Amino acid sequence: MQVTYAGFPYLSAILLCCVVGLLVIIFIPEERKTLIRWVSAIFSGITLVLSAYLFFAYDKSLGGLQFVERFQWVPSLGIHYFNAADGFNLPNLFLTGIVFFTGVLTMWGLEMRVKEFYALYFLLVAGVFGLFMSMDLFFIFIWYDVSLFPMYLLIAIWGSTRKEYGAMKLTLYLLAGSALILPAIIYLFAKSGLNTFDIVSLMQPGIFSSDQQKFAFPLLYLGFGILAGVWPFHTWSPVGHVAAPTGVSMVHAGVLMKIGAFGVLRVAIFLCPEGWKYWAELMAFLAAAGIIYGALVGLRQTDLKYVIGYSSVSHMGIVGLGLSTVTAEGLNGAVFQMFAHGVMTALLFSSVGYIYDRTHTKMIPELGGLSRIMPVASAYFIVGALASMGVPGLANFWGELMVFIAAIRVYPVRGIVAVLALVVTALFMLRVVQKTFYGPRHERYAQLPDISFYESIPRMILILVLVLFGLYPSLLVDLIQTASIPFMSGLPR
Amino acid sequence: MKWMAFAPEIYYLLAALWFLVLSLVARPDARREHLTSLFLAVLGVIVCLAAVKSEGVLFVNAYRVDLFSQVFKVMLSLGLFLIVCICGQLTDIKERNRHDFYVLLFVCTLAMMLLVSGNHLLTIYISLELSSYSLYILVALRRDRDFGLEAGIKYFLVGIFASAVMIFGLAILYGTARVTYLDEMMKVLPELINRPAVIIGLLLTLSGFFFKLAVFPFHIWAPDVYQGSMNQVAAYIATASKVAAIAVLARVVASAGQGSTYLIHVLVVLSIVSMTIGNLAAIVQQDLKRLLAYSTIAHAGYVLIGILSMNSAGYAGAVFYAMALLVMKFTVFLVVVEVACDGRNIQIEHLAGLHRRSPMLALALMVSLFSLAGIPPTIGFTGKFLVFVAAMEKGYFTLVLIAMINVVVSLYYYLLVIKAAYLLEPKEELPPLRPSPPIKLLSCVMVVVMIVAGLFPYYLIELAEAAVRAL
Repeated sequence: MQVTYAGFPYLSAILLCCVVGLLVIIFIPEERKTLIRWVSAIFSGITLVLSAYLFFAYDKSLGGLQFVERFQWVPSLGIHYFNAADGFNLPNLFLTGIVFFTGVLTMWGLEMRVKEFYALYFLLVAGVFGLFMSMDLFFIFIWYDVSLFPMYLLIAIWGSTRKEYGAMKLTLYLLAGSALILPAIIYLFAKSGLNTFDIVSLMQPGIFSSDQQKFAFPLLYLGFGILAGVWPFHTWSPVGHVAAPTGVSMVHAGVLMKIGAFGVLRVAIFLCPEGWKYWAELMAFLAAAGIIYGALVGLRQTDLKYVIGYSSVSHMGIVGLGLSTVTAEGLNGAVFQMFAHGVMTALLFSSVGYIYDRTHTKMIPELGGLSRIMPVASAYFIVGALASMGVPGLANFWGELMVFIAAIRVYPVRGIVAVLALVVTALFMLRVVQKTFYGPRHERYAQLPDISFYESIPRMILILVLVLFGLYPSLLVDLIQTASIPFMSGLPR
Repeated sequence: MKWMAFAPEIYYLLAALWFLVLSLVARPDARREHLTSLFLAVLGVIVCLAAVKSEGVLFVNAYRVDLFSQVFKVMLSLGLFLIVCICGQLTDIKERNRHDFYVLLFVCTLAMMLLVSGNHLLTIYISLELSSYSLYILVALRRDRDFGLEAGIKYFLVGIFASAVMIFGLAILYGTARVTYLDEMMKVLPELINRPAVIIGLLLTLSGFFFKLAVFPFHIWAPDVYQGSMNQVAAYIATASKVAAIAVLARVVASAGQGSTYLIHVLVVLSIVSMTIGNLAAIVQQDLKRLLAYSTIAHAGYVLIGILSMNSAGYAGAVFYAMALLVMKFTVFLVVVEVACDGRNIQIEHLAGLHRRSPMLALALMVSLFSLAGIPPTIGFTGKFLVFVAAMEKGYFTLVLIAMINVVVSLYYYLLVIKAAYLLEPKEELPPLRPSPPIKLLSCVMVVVMIVAGLFPYYLIELAEAAVRAL
């Protein structure tokens, strides 16, 4: 078998951490819950360190694919185990590391079926990491499904509010996405005549005719788009977020939805650039509709998690809008927004998780005045809410700014309408903050303790990341540009 | 030395005779019978493995031994071995019938081995009948006479109808093409394939195999037979019998060369209807075995995709799918047999609390159901992937799309079963299940096989492709 890799296989090491962690957890007896938590924290911590290392060690002056690992898997079908890092997937790998680690810490207080929870959680994250780093269509599909099926059990067993319905809806919707993706992938494989699933070989210009690209693109776009919460296929997402337990919501909204957007970028746009140009108008329309719809529906919600769920639909619409501009700036903004939104939703869900665990409600009318009872815990949520509004100084500002600059240039009307929808987002986020954390305080909750320092750690990490990239956006933008500018200039005009 | 190629068949004949003699002279002793059969089954696997490289033609060219047939013989012997493993407690059968049970099991396996090697249409027909008749009796052997007999008679009636149709097809085929040997058909048929009589003859001939594989419209027996027969027999029908059916179907269809558009259209329709009917009907089932029967019908549809592609990738996909079906269907039945320790039929709700009663069995159930649903990284996904790739090479995009939509539908009812095992709590507290260590080991091995074969399918794909080259 032909093997290629340059230096230490960092990417495989990340995957291996998840798999080894999973196996170690399986062999620890159920009763030793603390040990299970520590093992999970250590292994997820290693993945965070590795992904952060890759993020900063990537040579921006060189660009292109780095840390390449490639060897043949099934030669007769042209399947390769092919991992590589570039400017598009490194932010997402880093994001996954952050959310994974903070998610494990957030779920520290879990008492029910701890072992199974962490085992499934590791499996889920292994799929996510795998998808982000893979450059082979076959493996992308495998990882896509690996990251889906643990969701059913994670939500149905540990969730709340209509958990079985939410879990089933989510799983079937996302599987329906894969029902579009797999035929499209095999179609491209068969039409290329190269007998390979390797994306780098398949993305060379001239392999697929214009009609083939126009045919395959919508299938891939909708298939992955369902996971990205593209309107009108977003309905699984708020329901699923609400039903899921905190740590799973974090991974789910923070990372899993990014898989969808990333799949659109890596598979649909990379392989079918002409299809991308052809369908861009439709993408922009659906994205703008999602932004507005998410904001307006979010306005009416009374459940904290539903509010975040619909704001996610709206924010993922911004990612979609960035992708639909067919410009390098749009791609930069979209990837930046994926990263920023991931960290921000993780923070919001993590904060709501703390509140829910103490008050046992997430209904806004039942809460109120929480900032006087648990000032620190409230502060975390408020920072998340500010980020969600796009306040300068936090990472989300830059993502939204870049996307809107690109979008208004290309689609003036849709761009401006989408910007207006952001005002609505700001409105409902402020309303939620006001009703939940200010106003008269409820005596029922007066005795509740504030968040402890240790419980704060995951939230602090997330805020730190938001502020870091809010103040130094060039850390991220420079990295993304190493991929987006060559990609756009390589496209046939 | 030519007869060495025939060693597996001779071996299984002797093993069956051994049990026949035992049934005449020995007293029933459950443990001894089980150990004997286990020993004979293991030895059978070894004999088949030893004969895997042999090649040759026997009985005036009516019988062909090649890699294709030998690979399937290994699969069949493995299938028998696995089924015998879960026959530790044959509570659902009268004591005096237990010897007959093993006789029939070995005879049936022998018949299927003859089936996969048949090179003459009559050889195929006779071995098909032999295996079917063994199964009719096996189904009717259940202690609960009404249940078993009803299922046996239904199976019998549909079966003889299918074989009557098949004989009619053989007659038409001979009347038009003047051939009865498969290797001659391979030379003659591609030129005649567009004649209506040839297509009709071929389709009617295939009906006999459709019956075995439970393809629409010969699927109606499956739910009743699965429900009515004892769990072990249902497991045997769902695994070994399907493997043999796939083999012979691939062999006969391969003799038609590239096929004609009419033939392919009919097969496409049968495939789509089978998977759709199977999946939709499975959604409402409460009895786990009925659900599995409908899922078998759906899987028959998926297998047919590989076969109707009529290219080597498609046949290789079908061969791989046969291996996958053997492993995953068996694992589900393993769990069924262990949960229903007194041999009753189990409803989905009886699985409630399984994750606490036996985590190992619950895990095996989950992995095998995800594999049946075709979720990677399991062997079931790889099987589907291979047949889809083959179909796409022929440009059947819509067919693949419909199949994938069916996969989503099927996931719904598999998830319901998984939900029962992992989420629901039993109404009254049930004692933990304590599967014996060998059974635990077996389920563990099955889980590992399903996942590892899904992750590293390389060698199995090579094997399937090598087997198909012999066609």
